[in-house]
Amino acid sequence: MTLTLAATRAVASTVMSTEQITFETEALSYMDQLYAAALRMTRNPADAEDLVQETYAKAFAAQDKFQMGTNLKAWLYRIQTNAFINTYRKKQREPKRSDAETVEDWQLAAAAEHSSNGLASAEDSALDALGDEDIKRALSELSDEFRMAVYLSDVEGFAYKEIAEIMDTPVGTVMSRLHRGRKLLREKLRDYAAERGLYEKNPKTADKAETKGAADASACAVGEHCNGKA
Amino acid sequence: MAKHECEEALDRLFELIDGELTPSELDQVTSHLKECPPCEAERKLNEKIKTRVSATGGECAPEALRERILASLQAAREN
Repeated sequence: MTLTLAATRAVASTVMSTEQITFETEALSYMDQLYAAALRMTRNPADAEDLVQETYAKAFAAQDKFQMGTNLKAWLYRIQTNAFINTYRKKQREPKRSDAETVEDWQLAAAAEHSSNGLASAEDSALDALGDEDIKRALSELSDEFRMAVYLSDVEGFAYKEIAEIMDTPVGTVMSRLHRGRKLLREKLRDYAAERGLYEKNPKTADKAETKGAADASACAVGEHCNGKA
Repeated sequence: MAKHECEEALDRLFELIDGELTPSELDQVTSHLKECPPCEAERKLNEKIKTRVSATGGECAPEALRERILASLQAAREN
């Protein structure tokens, strides 16, 4: 059996190493996830498609820079995150965030978030009454850095170290973004629930009942339960 | 419950629900949560929000996008 010259060329041009086939197959298997992430990044289906296409074009062009055996999924997410920052965010003309996202910031704020038992259970029930669309909306209203950190952790299940690699930032910054992003997200969900009468923000009666007898209640950042027991 | 114990536990809640604590840190935080219902309620709430957020993904790439990417990959191979 003989091959024509054209057919021989076609075969030769598509001969690939096992490594290359493995790389391509694995890379392509993440397309749905990259697209879902791109939707969260760009908040727009047309831009999301362009972003994923650009991600694959860059990934295949830089294929020889990828070390087989390391985390291909995180590598692709990093390419996509960079492409988003360099192309789409500029296009959206979103002002670059300049507020300090420091670890100290969330450490100072973290304890203040504690609510009392009664409020927590009311919030818990309100959360059950909210739909998936509310959760999506709250996430979409977060700024890019917070939204992506929360998405990469909660939806993709990436470890802090991987998120740090993807977002090209120290692990401490990832933790800060997660803390602040989740705090804001929760605040938004409380707002949605309050707007629909599912949850009462700062109910006066509950405050009184829970801080009674505690003259220094305001000094206790973590709520009623530590007064008198500490 | 001592206030600083609550603060310490609350500081580590996200690391706890994200599975980022070392075994000894995990022991420390979970033993506090067992004794402190308000802190445990916070953990439960934050974990619930994480679970709700995790359920919001899952969109599939449109078929047209898949075809465009495969076509550009084929073109790149032939170069």
